[in-house]
Amino acid sequence: MNVTGMLWGAKLLKIVDFPTSEVLGPEASEQEIKALIDRCGEVFVKPIFRGGVGKKGKAGLLGRAKNLKTALAEKERLYFATHIHGNQTAKAQGVTFEGAVPAEHEVYVSITDSTKFRAPTLTITHMGGMDIEELSKEQIAEIPFDPLTGLKSFVITNALSDLKAPREIISPLAQNLPKLWDLFHHYGMTTLELNPIRMSQKRPGTLTPVACDFKCGFDRDDPRMKRLNLPAELFAVDYSDFEQEINQLRTYQGQSDVSVINPNGTILAPTFGGGANSLVTEFLGDDAIISSDFGGNPPYEKMREVMRICLKHWLKQTNVLFIIGGKANNTDIFVTFRAMADALREYFSEHGPTPLYLVIGRGGPNLSRGLLAFKDVADSLGIPYRIFAFDSAMTDVVRYAQEADKWMKAGGRDLLAKKLGCAA
Amino acid sequence: MSKQGNGKFKYFVGINSLAEIATPEDRVCVLNILGNESKGVTPTSHSYSGGNVVFGTSPGRKGEVLETPIGNIPVYNNVREGMEDGHKFNVGVVYLPPAAVRDGVFELIRVNSDLKKIVILTEKVSVRDSREIRALAQQRNVDVFGANCLGVADSWNHVRIGGALGGDKPEESLRKGSVAIFSNSGNFTTTMATYLVASGWGTTTSVSSGKDLYIHFAPAEFAHAFDNDARSKAAVMYVEPGGYYERDLTFTKPVIACVVGRWKAKLTRAVGHAGAMSGSGDSAEAKENWFKDILGVKEIYSPENPVVSWKGAVVTNISHIPEALTAVMKLHGVNPDFAPEGDLTLKPWFGDNQGLAMPKSLDIPLVEPFQPYKDQIAELTKQVGAIYPRESMKDRSGSSIMDAKTQVTRVSGVSILDTARYPLESNFCLALLHRHNDDNDNALFNVGIAADINLHGDVMSVVADAARAAGNAPNAVIAAACALVGPGRVKGACDAADVLIDLFGHSGLVKGDEAGFDISALKPSSEQLAKLTGKKADAKAQAMLAGIKARGAKSVFADFLSKLDGHPTADAVLAAIATSVCWSALMRKKISRNTARNLSWNMRLFSAIIGASVDGAQHKADSFCGVSNADLINKWSSTEIGYLALLGETPTPEKLFPFQVLLGLIISNGVGTISAQGCKGAVSADGPESPERVQINKAMMGFLTHTGFAHGGNGYEGIQFLVEQFGETGLKDAGDPKHGLDLVAMGTKFAQVFGAEKKARKGVGDGVRNIPGVNHPVFKNQLINKDPREVYLSGLFKERGEINVFHDFYSALVQALYDNGVTANVFCVNIDAVIAALLLKLLWPRYRSGTFSESALEMAAFTAFLYGRMVGCAGEIDDHTNRGRNMDTRTPASQCSFVS
Repeated sequence: MNVTGMLWGAKLLKIVDFPTSEVLGPEASEQEIKALIDRCGEVFVKPIFRGGVGKKGKAGLLGRAKNLKTALAEKERLYFATHIHGNQTAKAQGVTFEGAVPAEHEVYVSITDSTKFRAPTLTITHMGGMDIEELSKEQIAEIPFDPLTGLKSFVITNALSDLKAPREIISPLAQNLPKLWDLFHHYGMTTLELNPIRMSQKRPGTLTPVACDFKCGFDRDDPRMKRLNLPAELFAVDYSDFEQEINQLRTYQGQSDVSVINPNGTILAPTFGGGANSLVTEFLGDDAIISSDFGGNPPYEKMREVMRICLKHWLKQTNVLFIIGGKANNTDIFVTFRAMADALREYFSEHGPTPLYLVIGRGGPNLSRGLLAFKDVADSLGIPYRIFAFDSAMTDVVRYAQEADKWMKAGGRDLLAKKLGCAA
Repeated sequence: MSKQGNGKFKYFVGINSLAEIATPEDRVCVLNILGNESKGVTPTSHSYSGGNVVFGTSPGRKGEVLETPIGNIPVYNNVREGMEDGHKFNVGVVYLPPAAVRDGVFELIRVNSDLKKIVILTEKVSVRDSREIRALAQQRNVDVFGANCLGVADSWNHVRIGGALGGDKPEESLRKGSVAIFSNSGNFTTTMATYLVASGWGTTTSVSSGKDLYIHFAPAEFAHAFDNDARSKAAVMYVEPGGYYERDLTFTKPVIACVVGRWKAKLTRAVGHAGAMSGSGDSAEAKENWFKDILGVKEIYSPENPVVSWKGAVVTNISHIPEALTAVMKLHGVNPDFAPEGDLTLKPWFGDNQGLAMPKSLDIPLVEPFQPYKDQIAELTKQVGAIYPRESMKDRSGSSIMDAKTQVTRVSGVSILDTARYPLESNFCLALLHRHNDDNDNALFNVGIAADINLHGDVMSVVADAARAAGNAPNAVIAAACALVGPGRVKGACDAADVLIDLFGHSGLVKGDEAGFDISALKPSSEQLAKLTGKKADAKAQAMLAGIKARGAKSVFADFLSKLDGHPTADAVLAAIATSVCWSALMRKKISRNTARNLSWNMRLFSAIIGASVDGAQHKADSFCGVSNADLINKWSSTEIGYLALLGETPTPEKLFPFQVLLGLIISNGVGTISAQGCKGAVSADGPESPERVQINKAMMGFLTHTGFAHGGNGYEGIQFLVEQFGETGLKDAGDPKHGLDLVAMGTKFAQVFGAEKKARKGVGDGVRNIPGVNHPVFKNQLINKDPREVYLSGLFKERGEINVFHDFYSALVQALYDNGVTANVFCVNIDAVIAALLLKLLWPRYRSGTFSESALEMAAFTAFLYGRMVGCAGEIDDHTNRGRNMDTRTPASQCSFVS
C-alpha cells in the first residue's frame, strides 16, 4: 500500500508542517498553472500513478515547462501515460504540476525498518536527487535509532557531520527532519522517502528543506493509517474484485490472504500456511490462478465463505482444485474441509457440474474426518480425485496436481465434461 | 537498544544454547489464555510439557479456569493479580489480538522482573508495535520469539511453549534426535520434523521464528545457540525471501538450508508471511547465494544433482531436506537417529477415476493409511450420517439466520417467504432434514402424524384438559402434554429406527423409496427383530401400513417390515416412515444419525402439539374433530389436520392455502427470538455433548414456555385492531371481492380520529399508541415505505387472485394516515399485519356467527403461532443437540450485572 508523488505527499507532509514544493492536481485551471509558473519560474509535469511506481524520470515520464503552452503539451503527453516497471504495467491517471524549487543542495532522506539493525533506520545523504543505489557507501549514512524516543536532531547532525555535509544544511535539516518521525510512526508507515529535499533559500541567509518528491509505504496491518482518511481508491488499483471480496473477510484469526497470480490459470489452489504458500506458488508458477494462505484455523462459516468466493470467481476455468497444506498444527482439518466441501457442493447444485479434478494434500488435527468429508463430496459429485495425507511429500503432491492439469488440458476435461453431462 | 550484548552480539541475546529455549524449568504465563486459539492449543502444550503453564490472563474473567487433561489452569484479569496470588513465571506467551500485543508485552515486561522469554503467536501485528516491542525487550533484556510464529519446542525435554508445534499430537512429530530446526513457517516446522522422522532423524529444539518484518529471535541468534548445543549435531533452516537476517551467518556444524520463494519476486504483496517480500538484495535467489557461500556448495541440492559439502547443503524443496541431511551427515560418519519410519513417496489414501481412463502418472493405486489413521478411518466409514464439530452455540444457529437488512429469516437456507409456499409437514422436515419433502415423503410423514393425532384414552389428553381448565394459555396446555412424550414413551420408535439404520446403513440404499431395492440380504438378528415386531398383530401398525398403501406411498423400510416374521409394531412403522423420509439426507451426510433416530420423537411431538391443542371432547375412539381415524391416516395432510384442529372444520383448498402461508411465515424469526432461546437453553442444560440424554420433549417445552402473551400471543393485537374496525360493518366474508366496503373512507376515518388523539396526547406529554401492523423499525424513512415480506406476500396472493379485505384495509390505512398528515411519510404495512389479516380472514365467519368469542379468537391466534413456530424450534433443538456444548448458553458472571 504505497503512495507516491507530491499530490498526496504534500498533504501528508503538511500534517507535520514539513515544507513542500507547490503542487497542483490534474484539475488545475490554466490560470492556476500559469500563476504557478509565474511564481516558481518553472513547473514539473508528472504523471500520477496509483501505488508505488518508481523510475519514472528515467523512463522519460517527467515534463518540464517554463510556459503554459509547454505545460499543457506535457499534460497531454503524460495524462494517460503507460509505464512498464519490472513486471508491472501502470497507467497514469492524470498529472501534477509541481513548482520548481531553486536550490544548491539536494538531500535524500528515508526512514524505514531495517532488518539489519532491527530498528527504525534513517538513511541520509546530501548527494540527493539521484538513485541512492548509484552512490558509494561512504556517501550514505545509515543510522538506526530507538523507536521509544524517536528520531532526534542529534541523530541527524551526527550523521551529516560524519558525511561531511555542507555546514549550512545541517541545522535546517536537524530542525525539520525529526517531524518526519511523527508522520512515519504515528500513521502506520513502513517506509518514508523524500528524494529530493531541495535546500531552498526562502529567506535570505537561511536554508529551508523543501520536499520535492515523496514516497511512502503503509503497513496493511496497522489501523493507524485510517487516521489519515485517505480515499480508498488511492489503493484500489492494488486489488482485484476477487481480492477485495476476500479481503472483507480478512481478520487476524484465520487468515484470508490472497493475491491473483494468473487470471488465466487453470489450477485453483487454496493453500494453508505461509510456508506452503511459498512452496506451492513456487512450483505451480503460472498454472496457479491465485496465491493464498487460508491457514490460522478459520472457523467454518468463514472458510465456507472464502471458498464460495474462490469458486464463484474461478471454478469455471479451473481444471484442478488443489487443496494443499503441510501438517497443520492448529487448523482443524475437519472444520476447514467440511466448509470447503460444502461450498463446492453448493456451487455444483447452484451452477450445475463443471469438469474438475480434485487433488488434496494435508495433515493435521481431525485429519481422518476431514479427508473423509471431502471424499464423500467428491464421490457424490462424480469428479475424479486423489487425496494424499502428510506421508506424501508436499512437492510430489504439487507435481501430481500439475499432471492432472496437463491431462485435463490434453482432452481429459472434455472426457470428464461428457461424463458429467456438462459443457467442457 | 541494550548495552549488554552477550559477547558475540552488539545487542542483547539471552539464549546461549538451544537447550535453554524450552526447558522443563520454564514456567509460563499465557495472555488471553481463554481466546479461541489458546483454548484449543494451550491444554495440549501444558500436558505435553508436564504442566508448565502457571496461570493465564483474560480481562474480566478472573476465577475461571482453562481445563487441561492434567488439571485446570487458573485465569486472572491481569498479570499482576496472578503474581499477587503467588504465581511465578519466567516466560510469557501472547495470544492477544494484534492491536493488544504491544501492550501485553509491555505488561509482561514491566510487571514481572523475572521475565526472560516472550513468545508471540499473534499474526498481523503492526510493524510499529513490533519495533517498540523490540526496543523495550532489548532495554529489559528479554528474548522474544515471533511474532506470527508457532512457538518453540524441545523434543528432548518434552516441552512446548507457545503455539501448536506438532499439532494436537506433538509426540508424533517431535521425536528426540539430533537435528535442530529453525523455520520461517510454523506449519513447515512440524512438516519438516515429520519428514525427518520418515528418514530416521529426530529433533532437539524446534524454533518457529515467524516471518514478520521484525524477527526477534533471528537466524544469527539461532546459529549461536545451535553452536553451543551439544545435543544438536545438525540444523535444518527454512527461510523465505525478505530481510537480511541470514546474510552473514556462521556455523560450526552442518546445516541444510531450504530457501523457498523465488517466484515470490513476481508478487506485489505478501501473502501469509508479512515479511516475505524482498527488496532489491534480499530475494530468494540472493539468499540461496548467501547460503551457498556459507555452506561451501556451488549448486542447489536435488536428488538428481546431490551437491553437498561437509558444511551442508542448500535445497529449494522441503521434501529434499531429509535426503540432503542424510548425505551430509554421512560425510561426518553420523547415522540417522533411528530407523526410517515410512517414506515420502506419493501415497493416495483415497481416490477415484470415476470410470475414466487415466494415464499411469495419475492412476496411482490407493495405499492404506498408516496407524492410527487406518483404524480411525475404518471406524468413521462405519458411521452413518454427518458429524458436526461441537462449539458454543449461544446465540448461534446452524438452522436459522435472520438477514438484518431484509428482516427475512432463512431456515435451512430457505427464506420464510418461500416456506410459506410449502405445507406444514414439508417445512417441518425442512427444519430437521435441511430440504423440503417430495410428495412421497409428505405422504409417509402425514400417515405418521395422523396415526398419533387422536389422544382418545391417552392421559395426555387428560393432562391437557386439566391444564386448560386451570386457565392456562395454549402454550402451557400444550407444554403439559409434551411433558408426557418423554424418552420412555418414544424409546420403542427410536430403538426401531436404530435397528433400521444399522441394517440398511451400508446396504447401498440411497433413497428411502428406491424402487426394486433388494432387501433379501438383510437379515435382522433376533434382538433386532424383537425391536421391530411383536407377537400379536398391532392394529395401529396395520392401520398405518394400510394408510401408506392407500396413499400410494413407497417406503423400502415399510416393505421390509411387512416381510418380516412376526407383526410389525406401530413404533416400528413410525420408525420406518421416519427413516424413509430422512434416508437420503442421512446417506448424503446432511444430517446426523442422532437426527434420524430422533425424527420419530419429533413426529410424536408434532402430533401431540396439534392433538393437545384441541379439547379432550373432540378426541373420540374412532374420530378426531369429527373426522374418522381411518380417513385421517389414509387421506389427510398434516396441514389439513392442523386446520381442522384450529378451526374445527374441513378446509377447502381456498381456505387451506392462506392457513399454510400463515404457518410457513411464522416458523422462525431467527435464533435471537425468545422461543428459540428457550428451546436452545433446554438443550444446553441437558448437555448436548451426550446427545442421547437430550430430552427433545423438554426442549420443546422450553420453546413453549418461552412464548406468551407478548411473544406469540401478541398476534392477537392486530386481530383486535381489525375487529374494532370491521366489527360494525356487517362484513360476512373477508375474501369476497364484492364486500361493498369503502376501505379508503374507513382508513380516512380512523386516521382522522387517530390524528386528533395523537395531538391531544402529545399536548399532555403522553406517549402515542402504536397501530398494530403498521410501521417497522427497519423499513422506514422513505417517502413510501414497504416491508419486503409484505410486498412479497401481496404479490403471492394477487397471483392466486385471492382477496383479503383486512389486508387491503391496511394498505388503505397507511396511505390515509399520510394523506391526513398523521404520519410524515407512508408507513409500511408490516408482516404482523399480514399475519393478523390472514388469520382473521379464516376465523371471521365463526366470529361473525358468534361461535367464536373474542377470547377464543385470541387463543386461536396464539395456537396458530405455536403450530408454526414448533417447526423452527424443532430445527433449533436438533441443531443445538448436534453442534452445541454442555451449558453453552449461559452468560459469564462478568457480563451480568446487579440492578438495585
